[in-house]
Formats: sequence, C-alpha cells, structure tokens
Amino acid sequence: MVGITRYIRQIRRVGIKEWWHQMQYMGDVKAGTFVGKDQFGNRYFENLNPEDEVPGRHRWVDFAQHDLNATQVPAEWHSWLSHIRKESPLEDKVVQNVSPPWKAPWIENLTGTRGAYRSYNTVKPKIEHWEPKVLARGERSP
Amino acid sequence: MSFARPRVPLGLSARITAYPVHTSLIAYRPISTTARRLQAEPVHGHSHVSDTSGHIKSPRGTGSYSAVNEPDKYVDPYKDGPGALDKAANLFFFTEIARGMWLVLEQFFRPPYTIMYPYEKGPLSPRFRGEHALRRYPSGEERCIACKLCEAICPAQAITIESEARLDGSRRTTKYDIDMTKCIYCGFCQEACPVDAIVETQNQEFSTETREELLYNKEKLLANGDRAEAEIAANLHSDHVYR
Repeated sequence: MVGITRYIRQIRRVGIKEWWHQMQYMGDVKAGTFVGKDQFGNRYFENLNPEDEVPGRHRWVDFAQHDLNATQVPAEWHSWLSHIRKESPLEDKVVQNVSPPWKAPWIENLTGTRGAYRSYNTVKPKIEHWEPKVLARGERSP
Repeated sequence: MSFARPRVPLGLSARITAYPVHTSLIAYRPISTTARRLQAEPVHGHSHVSDTSGHIKSPRGTGSYSAVNEPDKYVDPYKDGPGALDKAANLFFFTEIARGMWLVLEQFFRPPYTIMYPYEKGPLSPRFRGEHALRRYPSGEERCIACKLCEAICPAQAITIESEARLDGSRRTTKYDIDMTKCIYCGFCQEACPVDAIVETQNQEFSTETREELLYNKEKLLANGDRAEAEIAANLHSDHVYR
C-alpha cells in the first residue's frame, strides 16, 4: 500500500470484488491494463504509470489457482513477467516464431507431490548379477 | 594572418596608458604599505611605525591585549565542566538518535521498494543462468552429439556423460546426468557446447523437497528443454549479436 489516496483510487478503478480478491492474495490493490491470459487462466497485467506503481512492480500476475506457485507461470509468460521480453508472448513475434510444434506442455514444480521427479539411470547397468544355472541330475556341463 | 594575436598587446597597452600612472614607485607599492593599511590601528602597544609619519594612530599604551599580557583576566570557560570535545560528542550523539528516527520516519511515508514475489518479479537477464535444459533442433532431433566438452570443462564435475552410436550411426548420449547439487551455475557448459544443446534456462524456481530430485538425468533435461524451448530460443535470439 503506497498511499491512502492511491489505495482509494485503485479501489475505485478495480471495484469491490476485485479489491477483496487482491487483498486476499496480493495484499495490495493494483489496477492496470489487462495484457493477456495463459492456458492455465492466469491473468497478466501491466501498469507503466509511475504514479500508480513503483517502477519494478509494473508487471504482475493474478494466479488462477488458490494454491499458487511461481512455477505455474509458463515459460513464455515467465520471460515477460521477469522483464526479459518487452512484449507479451501474444504480441512478441520472436517468441511466436521460435515456438516449435513439439513444444511440451508446461508442468509446474511438482516437488512434494506424487508427480515429483525421481531420478533414474538411463543406461544399462555395467555390472550384472551372477545368475547360476543349475544342471539337472545326470546332465553334463557344457 | 590573423588579427587576434596582435590585438592582445594592443589592448593591454591601451589599458596601461589609460591608467593614471604618476610615478613608477606607486605602481610597485606592496599591499602592506598602502594608505589604507597604514591608517589601521596597531595591534601591539609598541608601534614600529614612528609617530612622525603623520598618520592617525592610537595613543601609546592602548590597544588589544591577549591573555599573555593580562594573565589575571583570563577565564577558562571549560574549567569546571566537561571539555569542548565531550560537549560536542554529547550533542551530536544525542541528536543522532533523533536524526536517525527522523530518517526512519521519512522512509515510512515513502513508497516501499518491496516486490511482492510470486505476483511480481524482479528483472532477469536473458543471459541468466538457472536450471539446465537440453535442447532439440526444430525438427525434433536432439542436439547433443556427446562430444563431452561440457563434461570436460565443468569445474564442479557435475556432468556425467556416456554415449553410444545409435542404430542410424549417429552418436548420441545414453546418459547425460547433471548433479544440480554440485553445479555452481557458472555457465561454462553452455559456452563450451558447440551445438547449443546444453543451456541454462531462466527458470530459477526448481527447488525440491528431497536431494534426489536434483540429480537430473537426460530425460528430465530434455523435458526441461521441450517445455521452455520458446523462451530459450528467444533469449538466444536476443543475444545472438554478442555471441
């Protein structure tokens, strides 16, 4: 909360419902232009007016899930949110051109759940167990 | 020929000639013997300027005295109390509390610089070195050719590579393990890579609950590259003129 005048101004902009939602999650009321929405329903906003937002806080995301997590932001929006790319992936021609058709779906960090990554060996083991072969009675060993 | 050079002595000489010069001695009189200085009151009782000079002077025996001349009139103002250094220290150290609190009060009414983290993020460089990923060519073929340059240059020796020839004869890795607990994120592996296969993505949120989840194998690294390929390629594109 930067100032009481800004706070009241932002409430009048976003409305009571959005104010309640943002105060429950972000702890601040931020009003800005709606930039886009990703495949998970996270909404991204931007406000470049330094009167409203301290520079550095001018881009933000409103998560769709209640159990929110920074890794729920997919990679393209992550680069926009981290100020790596100037334009959003909806407008960025470079990001659109380099997106391959085999792009895998984004998965958030699943540590602590059953979907967590577990390391395994990708090669055949170098040492194998000795497997004894028992000959039948009367059979001659080769 | 320029006219600027001869003008300087001309102008100077004109100014000198315009100045009223009576004698050559006046022009070279030092400041201690100027008329104003000669009319000043003498500091010492014994004047070294003779009375017969005709200037206005204080009478003999008057003038300003120092403590040396009148020892009985000297009063030490710090005799009974604390010294000047103590008083100054007390004053400044005491007001320092108020000045510090005033600074805090000023900061209280300023907008905070806090970035509310998962909602807002600080700026990252396209060269940021985060979680590793193995990339693929646009055709979907994996880039890594098992040259093991990254394994050789890794200062923490976090990379382990084993390779085999595939059925079509091309040499690929069968094992590409990175121990992310050993990795120091120096970025030498992506600089050593001749085919831009191993890169460090801008993802820094890969913390895990157990240590075993940080022992990445080839499948995990390829999965990282597959899901973040657009971001990786865009960052390489934005930096390609410097590479």
